[in-house]
Amino acid sequence: MTDPKQAKITEAEAIERAKQGDEAAFEVLYHLHKRRVYSLCLRMVSNPAQAEDLAQEAFLQLFRKVGTFRGESAFSTWLHRMTVNVVLMHLRKKNLPAVSLEETIETDEETQRKELGTEDVKLTGSIERLQLQRAIDRLPPGYKTIFVLHDVQGFEHNEIAEMVGCSIGNSKSQLHKARLKLRDYLKSMRAEKASKS
Amino acid sequence: MNCADVHRALPEIDDGVLNAEFQAHIQSCPSCSALVSDLELISSEARQLAESEEPSPMLWFRIADELRAEGLIREPEGQTSRPVLVLPKQRSWNAWWLVPVAAVLMIGGIYLLQPKPAGEIARQPSITPQTAVNSAPASEESQSPQEQQADDQQFLDEVAQSAPMMKATYENELRSVNSYISDARAYAQQNPDDEDARRNLMEAYEQKQVLYQMALSNIQ
Repeated sequence: MTDPKQAKITEAEAIERAKQGDEAAFEVLYHLHKRRVYSLCLRMVSNPAQAEDLAQEAFLQLFRKVGTFRGESAFSTWLHRMTVNVVLMHLRKKNLPAVSLEETIETDEETQRKELGTEDVKLTGSIERLQLQRAIDRLPPGYKTIFVLHDVQGFEHNEIAEMVGCSIGNSKSQLHKARLKLRDYLKSMRAEKASKS
Repeated sequence: MNCADVHRALPEIDDGVLNAEFQAHIQSCPSCSALVSDLELISSEARQLAESEEPSPMLWFRIADELRAEGLIREPEGQTSRPVLVLPKQRSWNAWWLVPVAAVLMIGGIYLLQPKPAGEIARQPSITPQTAVNSAPASEESQSPQEQQADDQQFLDEVAQSAPMMKATYENELRSVNSYISDARAYAQQNPDDEDARRNLMEAYEQKQVLYQMALSNIQ
């Protein structure tokens, strides 16, 4: 029987045991990373069932390749990038633009003109998580991809550009527009809630 | 620097470092100040979502089944592949206590999600969204926090005894699902008319239900 004092297993140990086909080791790795993987998928596709399918595919790809992991980069980084690729492939198969290059309805000049005319009413306090989630779900697919990858998941623009296949400048522009849209959505949600109360 | 210059510069500001001219304009312009503040708030709040969602516990079972089918999980010789939980005798438990827990959680969840026609609500004035939130998962709600904690601790003690490698995992899972239930309950109580909030609460209780079911499947 395993010594109870050795109950805790490190990620590195779990990886080595997973390479030997140890089911419990696979499960440990799964539980360590499931929230980040699933959250990324859900934010990108806004559908829990699809998000679970994508998360399942990401983990299966990871576990099939775990024997090749040599530790040159962090395991989480490896898994994270794999998840992004799985989601982007899914979006491409559905013919959804991963980056809405000119699905943007407005040009940069139009965006600026709009913002200059906006009232200076601030979003105060913190933003309710559910409200932010709903607002993100409303974003056009291209804006949503960039926003989720950068602001939610923490990828840098050069990484996003490489994964998505756009320029760094385009990634920055899309992100800014996504944030502006979210600001509009959140303000209108608050105004709607205030008028009901 | 004027407002148009600020708007042109904003997409390029990635690390929050603003030059002196930019800062001077922000301090003197309420509109640009509000805009910058809002965008920073949105960006910072978004990071909270990175690990905010929990998949259904059944997802692991589907992955494990597929790994087994592909031969990636190897059964050690002479050993069972999954840890077996053995319950103590000092408390009058047997594995079947999990069944009514699971059932009550599901019934409470189904009740939460049932849309009630207006006529039916009128005939049952005592049933309000608030009482629906408060009455769901009776087994959880009827227990004091201390009793719930004691049950959770005994559950973990058994995992530690029978499957020590999984103890840390189940500990994290339980902590996570209890926190999820707590957040979801608070939000649903603050927003009694919000169906998404009730659905969220139902999903939170389902998560705990399935966590116990996972243990049950090992015992049977």
